[in-house]
Amino acid sequence: MTNLEKLNKIFCEVFSVEEAALNSEFNKDNVEGWDSVHQLSLTTSVEDEFDIMLDAVDILEFTSYDNAKQVLAKYEIEL
Amino acid sequence: MALRGVTGTVPNHPVKTAELPYFTQSEADTFDATVGIKNRYIAPPDVCASDLCVDAGERLLSGLGWEKESVDVLLFASVTGDYKTPPTSAIIQDRMGLPSTTFVLDVPMGCCGCMYCINIAGNMLSAGTAKRALVLVGDTAMRMGNPNDKSRGPLFGDSGTALALEYDPSASDIIIEFNTMGSGASALMTPHGGYRHPITKDSFIEEDFGNGIIRAPKDALINGMDVFSFAITKPPISVKKMLDEQGLDKDKDVDFFLVHQANKLIVDRLVKKLKLPVEKVPYNLQEFGNLGGASILMLMASELGEELSSRPLTMLCSSFGLGLTWGTMLLRTKPIRVIPVSKI
Repeated sequence: MTNLEKLNKIFCEVFSVEEAALNSEFNKDNVEGWDSVHQLSLTTSVEDEFDIMLDAVDILEFTSYDNAKQVLAKYEIEL
Repeated sequence: MALRGVTGTVPNHPVKTAELPYFTQSEADTFDATVGIKNRYIAPPDVCASDLCVDAGERLLSGLGWEKESVDVLLFASVTGDYKTPPTSAIIQDRMGLPSTTFVLDVPMGCCGCMYCINIAGNMLSAGTAKRALVLVGDTAMRMGNPNDKSRGPLFGDSGTALALEYDPSASDIIIEFNTMGSGASALMTPHGGYRHPITKDSFIEEDFGNGIIRAPKDALINGMDVFSFAITKPPISVKKMLDEQGLDKDKDVDFFLVHQANKLIVDRLVKKLKLPVEKVPYNLQEFGNLGGASILMLMASELGEELSSRPLTMLCSSFGLGLTWGTMLLRTKPIRVIPVSKI
């Protein structure tokens, strides 16, 4: 599984959506149920999957699918 | 000042997540797995935090064999007191039959309430003005919020806890590091009902904020993202500071880390951030939920009974909540009396 596939799988599981829903519009404002619990759940899963420890500021930045990819790039996770 | 005993009381009304009206079974399963709070005890409308605390206090005094006349200080930490006035601690003094010489104080400091009480009692006992203090910490937090607020309701449980403290010159110092960030106060608040915004008809008008959040201005609110941001950044810094300043090795010098049981995601985060040994971090949120200021004391009563009663312990406690306030407390205890948690 590629890193992108791993990331997509996490998003799909946390938000109970199909992979096709993951696009640049997939963000905190557009996704029903995207609250602090889902966000921390998302970042915890990402940390476990990629064996990284996100800084608090990066966890707070995890507010969209695109942002997630940008944050992961900071941790040298190639997608 | 030495800790002498601790216990807790919960209402005998357990509620599983799936039993909450706004969750489907699937949503409840997800909530249980991520937030970690699978059960909570909810008090019926006619039971107040003071009732639960009085039960805990009575059982503790009885278990310790303390005469009521010997209690010099009674502190009641709660944000769900009986009335706006008078102070609930005064009512409890009467209910428990404590002497009229008892110094009483209400401490409405939310999740850090236990730490504030230990600080206040510690200063009084150390100053020689009192010998024995009874600290009662409890809330019926569930009913502070709107019953249809999915963002808040499932997180909390109701309880009352009691801690007995006594002047003891041979006891180790209790060291507490407090912090306040009032600029974040609106993250956890009840907008109407105080004197800034007294209750009016408008206070009852519910608004749908989406994501299952329905509440009126009279209801307590949680701004999830602000609280979340606060809880994952400030407390770990405070704990680290305490470890460094006291020269403590987290692996060798501390027996247990008692972390305010806000939810599993936040507690796990603190454990991970500080690389705490997981076997030294007890959890009870799966059974009780977030108990506010009673969280640390209920951890002692429900999870550490055998350890606390059988050997000296060094515990590092981390609390964070209303205010916003947060702090870290270093407790070194001799064996104390731990009375099992009661359900009434």
